[in-house]
Amino acid sequence: MTEKRLELPQGTLDLLILKALTLEPMHGWAISERLQQISCEALQVQQGSLYPALHRLERRGWIKVQWATSENNRRAKYYTLTPLGRKQLEVEITAWRKLTSAVDHVLDMA
Amino acid sequence: MLPMLNDLLYRLRALFQRREMDAEVDEELRDHLERETEKYRRAGFSPNEAIRRANLVLGGSEQVKQQSRDSRGTKFVEDVLQDLRYAMRSFARTPALTALIVLSLAIGIGANTAIFSITSTLLLKPLPYPAPDRLAILWLRSPGIGIPQDWPSPGQYHDIVTQNHVFEDTALANGDNFTLTERTKAMKVDGIHATSNLLQMLGAKPMLGRIFLPEEDQPGKPQTVVLTYGFWQREFASDPNIVGRVITLDGTSHTVVGVLSPSFRLNHEVIPTIAGIDKPALFMPPVEEAKDPSNYGSENYNIVARLKPGVTMQQAQSDIDVIAARLRQEKHRDRSFTISVVPLIEQVVGDIRTAVLILFGAVALVLLIACTNVANLLLSRAAVRQREIAIRAALGAGRVRVVRQLLTESISLSLMGGVAGLAISALSIAVARKMHPGNIPRLEELGMDFRVFGFTLAISLFTGVVFGLAPALRASRVDLVANLKAGGKGSLSGGLSIRHDKVRGALVIAELAISLPLLVGAGLLVRSFMRLANVPPGFNPQHVVSMDVGAYGPKFKDPNTRVQFYQELAERVNHLPGVTATGAVSALPLTSAIGWGGMHIEGYVPPANEPELQVDVRASTPPYFSAMQIPLIRGRMFAATDTDKMPPVAIIDQKMADRFWPNGDAIGKRIRRSNDSPWTTIVGVVGVVKEYGLDTDTRMVVYYAHTQIRNGTMYFVARTTSDPAATTAAILRLVNAINPDVPVYDIATMEQRVQDSMARQRFAMTMLAGFAGFAMILAAIGIYGVMSFLVTQGTGDIAIRMALGARRASILALVFQQGMRLALLGIFVGLVGAVGLTRMMSSLLFGVKPTDPLTFFSVFALLLFVALAACLFPASRAMRIDPMVALRAE
Repeated sequence: MTEKRLELPQGTLDLLILKALTLEPMHGWAISERLQQISCEALQVQQGSLYPALHRLERRGWIKVQWATSENNRRAKYYTLTPLGRKQLEVEITAWRKLTSAVDHVLDMA
Repeated sequence: MLPMLNDLLYRLRALFQRREMDAEVDEELRDHLERETEKYRRAGFSPNEAIRRANLVLGGSEQVKQQSRDSRGTKFVEDVLQDLRYAMRSFARTPALTALIVLSLAIGIGANTAIFSITSTLLLKPLPYPAPDRLAILWLRSPGIGIPQDWPSPGQYHDIVTQNHVFEDTALANGDNFTLTERTKAMKVDGIHATSNLLQMLGAKPMLGRIFLPEEDQPGKPQTVVLTYGFWQREFASDPNIVGRVITLDGTSHTVVGVLSPSFRLNHEVIPTIAGIDKPALFMPPVEEAKDPSNYGSENYNIVARLKPGVTMQQAQSDIDVIAARLRQEKHRDRSFTISVVPLIEQVVGDIRTAVLILFGAVALVLLIACTNVANLLLSRAAVRQREIAIRAALGAGRVRVVRQLLTESISLSLMGGVAGLAISALSIAVARKMHPGNIPRLEELGMDFRVFGFTLAISLFTGVVFGLAPALRASRVDLVANLKAGGKGSLSGGLSIRHDKVRGALVIAELAISLPLLVGAGLLVRSFMRLANVPPGFNPQHVVSMDVGAYGPKFKDPNTRVQFYQELAERVNHLPGVTATGAVSALPLTSAIGWGGMHIEGYVPPANEPELQVDVRASTPPYFSAMQIPLIRGRMFAATDTDKMPPVAIIDQKMADRFWPNGDAIGKRIRRSNDSPWTTIVGVVGVVKEYGLDTDTRMVVYYAHTQIRNGTMYFVARTTSDPAATTAAILRLVNAINPDVPVYDIATMEQRVQDSMARQRFAMTMLAGFAGFAMILAAIGIYGVMSFLVTQGTGDIAIRMALGARRASILALVFQQGMRLALLGIFVGLVGAVGLTRMMSSLLFGVKPTDPLTFFSVFALLLFVALAACLFPASRAMRIDPMVALRAE
């Protein structure tokens, strides 16, 4: 737990949230857990960034919100990817790939 | 499109369902926390440790909530709403100060909107005709022989039409009254004879039928007439089949060919006809004599012209100058003879311009004072709140946030003032319309000008922002520690001395200095008006009814029947209860009726360069002078024996007697109208009568005996001790009984005529007095505001003085001394300014010098009194300060 975690570059959180939501609708805590697990604990999303990001995505119409009863019988706020969000995810993935490969190229320069 | 819409809906929801959204965030975060805690518990931590760790990972939940709110994108609006709520609360805490600011603004904005509306209606709004800036009216002028303005003749019209190079179109018109008969009751109607192009030039459109055809003004055409909408509606009950109907005017049949649209407006202000008709009821082609190009003798016409596009008024004037020079040569006019081209708008607005421009200046000054007041009060407000702002800054409010808060307050104040100002201006305009000062041009077009309202609102918003911002910037830079320690008072002011507060002091001085010239101006107008109202008109206007009674038309072809008619009318009216005297005259004073002509005096040869003598000419019945109580100075009145069989006689007025027979020997001398008319003997001299207005010098007047002139339009007057309205009604019945075809016209009591003749002066006086009053109220608010501020700021100071043994009277004196020092300074600056400014209004004054000492002293005393009164409340509050309470509060 004490190991240093990676700082997320600006803007990538949106991308990760959208990606996480491609599988199924999730609530906020589940999203942060999922990101943590998938990234092999390398990424930990602070709720201080997570929730504002969710509000922002909702405002842009990329995700939508539903209140539903969760597995332990509690009311929870579920986030679902909208078709618009799906398109946006593809755009952002492409952009990310381009960016990382460009950065890799530069770094691989001998 | 969709994402934008989604965004908007989201923000709106965030705005209007803020509470629900906050609750959702709370719930979501609680849920998150519980799950996180659950996770740690399952990992084997004790419940307490699990909660601690979860909290640690999550960070401050308040911060998260705030960030979530910020990400909703409604922060700006929410802040504004919060600022507004806060502003309203702070207004409610200081209702008096808030009310003063709003009142100041309301007066400034309201008065401005009202006066700008009037000004723009009068001076700036184009006339309701197509391309009105190319319209002009032409006048003859011979200032060298005392004729400042005269009507042109058909001959001159013909010359101008054929010789000018600047007019696209030129129309000839003259007004006339007609008797409309073949109806239940005869009625006098006003009409204009005009060439066919006049209506077209003024953009008149027919609502029914047509306007005149181009060839209809040529000789030998059938008699046709076009009615105005109002006349058609009033007198023909909006008959839709009017076109083609025949009506009888002055005993002749005329066919109605059209009715003009209701929007067409033409009145005396636009075309002042020699007949003095106010609004024509109908239009007719010109009379025969108007079609004669050699008719130079009948100078009774108006010429209206439309300039060719691109031609300026100056170019038109120089072109007409050439024609005038030719006429001067060929027709032997005097050397000063010219024909002047007057832009139509100038004709309409005329001499009201000075008055309006002065009002305009007055209002600008009022706005200046209002803005000064607002600035001053806002400064006071900000100063009082220094401590509050310091506290907010200490609690972490950023500078921008504080400035925004203060700005919100001053803008909301300005807007409240704007709304109240809208009410004030609507009220002022309603009053101005209600006063309807008869001879103020274009008042019926008056309405509120919303561009103007926007303009003044913008100015006051600007004031609010500037003077809200200055203290806001200063206040937001406050030294926290000093202010909190000093209780927000001591650090800012030097206790009870205005000398430490130069800006505020200067503003108060400025307010008084500005309002003083306004008050002096209003005072001068009031004094002028009083002087004017006290001018003896030369007759006794009380209890006299008067009306224009027209004994003309086919039934009065024989002049003797006219004399008989007026004699019979006088006889029967004399028997009415309450009537003590009656009389008749061809042109009654203070009406639009006129009559003048040349005069030759036996044995008097005018100097070579001087033209023929011109005098006002009247025909009157013998008892006219006694009915009007015009004093006989020498000789005798007309008598029943002065018939057309007897030698002709005349009565002259004192003015003429003084000029030609200063030794009092006018009686028995002989005069005549022209070289080929008979000599008339002067039998009497009567007092001078104000014919054209109380402020106008009259010309010399010659009265002829009606029995020897026998004309058919006379004003009939009756002096009565009973109700004027009842007497008038009785006279109307008698006229109708004697001859139903005789129209009665222009009915009014002589007192009304005197009042109406002063309408313009009364209007200017009332308006300027109103603005001066506003200015004074504002200045009083200003002094009061600053003095109460000083007392509030100096409470501690006063308390200490009192605790040290100062008497209450000396505290009172101290406050007064501070306030009056400012007031006196302002008043003296204002006096100097007033001496310079009132000189500009000398043309509006009557019998009063612009530097009238009495007015200046009265205004000085008044302002001093107002300043004292404004200091009284703060001073008495200072006196009643309880030192113990005040010092404990510090």
